[in-house]
Amino acid sequence: MKKIFAIAWKDALVRFGSSAELLFFIILPIVFTFILAGGTPSGDEDPRIPLTVVDEAKTSISQQVIDQLENSTAVRPELTTRQAAQSQFDDRRVEIVLIIPSGMDSISLQGGSAQMELFQQPNNINATVAERAVLTAIRQVSSSISAAQNAVKQRESIQPFASEAEKQAYFESSLETAQSIQKNAPERVAVVTGNTQDEVDYDPRANSSAGQLITWVFIPLFGISALFAYERQQGTLRRLLITPSNKATFLLGTISGQVAMALVQMLLLVGFGILVMKLNWGREPLALFVILLTSALAAAAFGTTMGTFIKSEGQANGLSIMFGMVFALMGGCWYPMELFPAIIQNIVKILPTTWAMQGMLDLVLRGGGLQDILPEAEVLLGFAVIFFSVGVWRFRYE
Amino acid sequence: MLKLFLIGIKDLKLIFRDRAALTFMLLAPFLLTIGMGFVTGRFSGNSNGLSDIPVVIVNLDREQLGNALADVFASEELADLMEPTVSSDPAAARRLIDEDKAAAAIIIPAGFTSSIIPPEGTTFSQSNVQAEPVKIEVYANPTRPTSAGVVKAIVDEFVSRVEEGRTIGMTSIVQLMQAGLLSPQNAESEARKLFENVQQTESTAIILKTNNEGAQAVQFDILAYMAPGMALLFLMYTVSHGGRSILAERSQGTLPRLLVSPTSTAQVLGGKVLGIFLTGVAQVGILILASSVFFGVKWGDTLGLVILILAAVFGATGWGMLVTALARTPAQIGSTGSALMLIFGILGGSFINLDQMPAYVRTLSKITPNAWGLDGFTTLALGGTLPNLMQPITALLIMGAVLFGIAILLFNRNGIMQK
Repeated sequence: MKKIFAIAWKDALVRFGSSAELLFFIILPIVFTFILAGGTPSGDEDPRIPLTVVDEAKTSISQQVIDQLENSTAVRPELTTRQAAQSQFDDRRVEIVLIIPSGMDSISLQGGSAQMELFQQPNNINATVAERAVLTAIRQVSSSISAAQNAVKQRESIQPFASEAEKQAYFESSLETAQSIQKNAPERVAVVTGNTQDEVDYDPRANSSAGQLITWVFIPLFGISALFAYERQQGTLRRLLITPSNKATFLLGTISGQVAMALVQMLLLVGFGILVMKLNWGREPLALFVILLTSALAAAAFGTTMGTFIKSEGQANGLSIMFGMVFALMGGCWYPMELFPAIIQNIVKILPTTWAMQGMLDLVLRGGGLQDILPEAEVLLGFAVIFFSVGVWRFRYE
Repeated sequence: MLKLFLIGIKDLKLIFRDRAALTFMLLAPFLLTIGMGFVTGRFSGNSNGLSDIPVVIVNLDREQLGNALADVFASEELADLMEPTVSSDPAAARRLIDEDKAAAAIIIPAGFTSSIIPPEGTTFSQSNVQAEPVKIEVYANPTRPTSAGVVKAIVDEFVSRVEEGRTIGMTSIVQLMQAGLLSPQNAESEARKLFENVQQTESTAIILKTNNEGAQAVQFDILAYMAPGMALLFLMYTVSHGGRSILAERSQGTLPRLLVSPTSTAQVLGGKVLGIFLTGVAQVGILILASSVFFGVKWGDTLGLVILILAAVFGATGWGMLVTALARTPAQIGSTGSALMLIFGILGGSFINLDQMPAYVRTLSKITPNAWGLDGFTTLALGGTLPNLMQPITALLIMGAVLFGIAILLFNRNGIMQK
């Protein structure tokens, strides 16, 4: 037992020999968790298509058009200057630009000279949608004037006006009638929200906290392979042959030390989740401990197996980070698993990160307890048994 | 110059013989790009934004306006946007939405047309036209808010056209009747005439001039963001790894040997930097080429692409040299370089599109070659050419030059390149 502790302590001293290790142990995981929690879409964002609007008129008419666009279910007006809009449009960074030119007021509307310009990227579907939304907004603002203009024309075709004043009076009377008709127009569309179940369980804070915890803990645990490769390269493993320590003692010391450090790291990140991100990690402490421990064991076991295949420390470091990042991405630690095609969702069940993430989300996102995380914990334990067996079986001092 | 070039080529060869380095430089970003392709739906054809929105039309009206609305969704103009199916059962249509089989159902109730256009034989009056409205129901799928919003907007546009036509027609008739130019007996036939094509009314007070000419249509490929995102992320590893070789050569004694040969310090340092630069160019070049060959990403302007890669690697190499100049041991460069790679990765948009990041992150991102590089690659993928890339290229060149200048000052101060 003393030897095991001594080996684990030695590994901790080697690992934290440089203060830079703290960057990877706690600082970067916290930075990533924090930024990703704020940077990933939560589902509460405005889903409408952005429509760049340049309001050069700044009149009540142009404001009414913008207000109507705000009410659209399809587009979201974003005001900017003509120069910025032009530049973004030329760079194809925006798909649609609506220009409301100066002089757009009630006089120009009555005179029939009011005109707006809609610039669209060619063959762009969003632009097709935006055009309809803009036409709807324009109609809401101008249909009473259109109706009054039309009424004047109808009247003129039957009996010409005696004077300009009579024509203007007829226009104003028509405008009043049209406004009254428009005001009393009933709502003709009703939106009913369906009962579709959202299959994507997602909360950016919970997903980010659990996902980054797994990413940053699994990479160093996979790095156990680098420890083996380093000791093998340095010849220190061979020296152990002449000491009264067997293979099991060495492996247990190395692995338990790394698992203990991983648990400390996990608890620090869980603490950050509870205190700063207000996540409910601590509701079921026993379940939390079980999922953290089995996750750490599975990752440590994978690192042990890797260590028996890899020859140099450089290789081990590179592969640990590569496997850590790829497993994290594919295991749903960076993006919700539900975004993957069904076949990939099934394939990635061979990864320990998938089960670790599911288990942690059961706790922190879905409010589950020990019973809920047991299946994931069992699978992770299964990974640990298989990989430790392979690792121990293949382990050589030289 | 030849010596400088030889040193650079030697370092390039060394790194391309190191399988561990190659795994990290090429295989890791390639695998992560594939993973990103799955996440974003690129490989399952779901990444192209709005298209083929499944919508169920239930037309119980079966008259002029109901048919016209159904025709709108089946029109050639909306062929790419909508994928309408017709049903006669409102309950079945709602069930399809609840089961997430479509984005929305449009249920046009019986009597919709007659609620707007007075049936034949009806005496015209303002009150009977404004009777209790018969409403079109848009049964929306809450898990597809954008698509459902678009469906609603199309229905709104149709209804606004009908409503404008109704307002125009009614205003004319009411005014003519008030002026004594139309008798109540004739009002019904006149109203019917005005309402005949009510759904085709065009607004006259404000004219909307559309402009969509002059450029080729471009569909943005999400992998054109993800692939360079990963390449730039791992480029930071490459440049710091290269910087590590300068200190490693010093500690292994090969650097002093080089310096006692008739080779100047500037040539040795220049050669080492050239080696790092060439390695980075090869790495990003291979990954970008792989994105074209394996995933069919179209990069457009080749000259722009090459210059952008050179500028991005130049900017990143500047960071690599600064890290090298600040470090005392190769191990320090390794850990600082890895940290910088990850920090720049998240700040620069390699993991998540910067547009989704908070404003302070977008501001901070300007110090990373990742953000400027991705800006350029996105412009290229959107059909931009070299002139459109001037801003990111200039920023990357300035970044590289400034960082090189600082690194050289630090090298001189710390005596790293002394015999």
